[in-house]
Amino acid sequence: MNATLVIPFGRTVYLFTAGSERPTGFRLPDRRGPARAAAIASAEELPGALVDALDRLRAAEELHVAGEALARTLAGRTGRRVVPPTLDEWRLGRRALPPIPLPEERAYVRSVAAEALGSALRAPEEVLITLAREEERLERAVGREQRASEAMLEVPDSPLVEYLGRWAVTRAALERHHRALVETLESTARSVAPNLAAVVGPRVAARLIAAAGGLGPLGRTRGARLQLLGSRRRPSADRGPRFGVIYRAERMTDVPADRRGAYARSLAALASIAARADATTRSSIAPLLLRRRDRRVEQLRGRRR
Amino acid sequence: MTTARRFEADPTSPRLLRRRGGDRTELWTEAVGELPPVYGEGWLERDGRRFRRFEPARSKLSAGIAGGWDGPIPRPGERWLYLGAATGTTASHVADLVGGDGAVYAVERSVRPFARLLATSARWPPLLPILGDARTPGAYADLVPPVDGLYADVAQPDQVEIVLANARLLLSGSGAALVLALKTASMGRDRTAGRHRDSAEERLAAEVDLDPAVKLDPFHRGHYLVGGRWRGEPPARPRGVIRSPGTPRGRRRP
Repeated sequence: MNATLVIPFGRTVYLFTAGSERPTGFRLPDRRGPARAAAIASAEELPGALVDALDRLRAAEELHVAGEALARTLAGRTGRRVVPPTLDEWRLGRRALPPIPLPEERAYVRSVAAEALGSALRAPEEVLITLAREEERLERAVGREQRASEAMLEVPDSPLVEYLGRWAVTRAALERHHRALVETLESTARSVAPNLAAVVGPRVAARLIAAAGGLGPLGRTRGARLQLLGSRRRPSADRGPRFGVIYRAERMTDVPADRRGAYARSLAALASIAARADATTRSSIAPLLLRRRDRRVEQLRGRRR
Repeated sequence: MTTARRFEADPTSPRLLRRRGGDRTELWTEAVGELPPVYGEGWLERDGRRFRRFEPARSKLSAGIAGGWDGPIPRPGERWLYLGAATGTTASHVADLVGGDGAVYAVERSVRPFARLLATSARWPPLLPILGDARTPGAYADLVPPVDGLYADVAQPDQVEIVLANARLLLSGSGAALVLALKTASMGRDRTAGRHRDSAEERLAAEVDLDPAVKLDPFHRGHYLVGGRWRGEPPARPRGVIRSPGTPRGRRRP
């Protein structure tokens, strides 16, 4: 083999120079938090000794590097030809690596997992999904409390009056909390999916994204399915549901009740286009879609009279 | 007055226990962690040892073992790769089986189930969670050393190819275990479950010495436990990373 094999494992970059069976390890300095050798994205993070070792290689030598980020970094730093290892090289190389002691390995993999989870959940889209689910839960709670309080009998001159007063204060706090959450949710939705938020309203946009599992999956959802996202009944060929979360979309109440199914269908088609734009080009097509939406509303209102 | 029923250790995997009760045999695993249970499963302590109920209805691996699975089962001290760990129901039992000296590398790609998996792993020492997509084994190969076994429950149209790609790169070599909980409904409605199983076994047989598949009915309809021992190195391929055949990846349906 006249190529040098580079395999990252944990915090260490292992180098198999041509002809040698045993690798040389270059460990990343222990920083705060986990560091993955495979994810080294800038030349400054490379261990100095590794760069020196690579500089000493014959000029013509190719590098076979496992791990895409590390491969790009090494290509940039050394100017050498860098290709992925063959499966056999990679597999045999991995088996020649010294094992990490079990306690250290456990702590390491968990810290990598915690960091990966943290950064995944900090993405605006995931924040939006979390907020949307929380808002839905809270909205149900507010409604439930409201109905329960209305069902309670008011008996003058009884301890119940005092109790109802205290309960009303708690409910008001819950509603304030809900309003604040809705505000955050709506501004997040407007920044994550501006076109969709304009067409169906920010709250419904957030629920659609949560129901689809993300903006990407929603962008791949066609209108017919988008119309039913969040619906609790089973879709069927003859008597399925006509609405999911789209029932609460903007301008739905401007349409006569017997035309709402038709409006939901048209709106879902527009929303699917909007979501696709938000997920891909991010160009602003909202004005065009809004004109079509409002024209459809007028059509549906006119037909009944 | 009833006398305590005896636990009998499985001859190949001593941390897997059977207990006769009436006309059926219960499966239990010896817990590596402390109370509370991971997902509300039954829990028993006896002679200072802790046991967790391994319910066939909750876990495809358990249903397979209950149905007479003859192939490899995780054993104490082994390292296993677990694809599609979700919240860690079955993965925690696999961690029980490998015990305190083993490791289970549990790969899951969905963020929210992964959060629960990570929380469980903090008190289940052998369970090591990895946030990643099983379609790209190269992306987490720097966290997983060569493993003695691979268990997969990925429910994707290309599940067999996913398993094989992981096996080629990450298994320790000939004789390593490979177990797949095959969901035939993910492979299309154009053929019966049995035909899907046959085609999966045919593709696996090129690289795996298969043990007889076990049907997981009635616990998990349309599922099979298939697998066996990795035979050895397949013909080399140019890349260690597979590509998805362009399947939709929406996470939930209405």
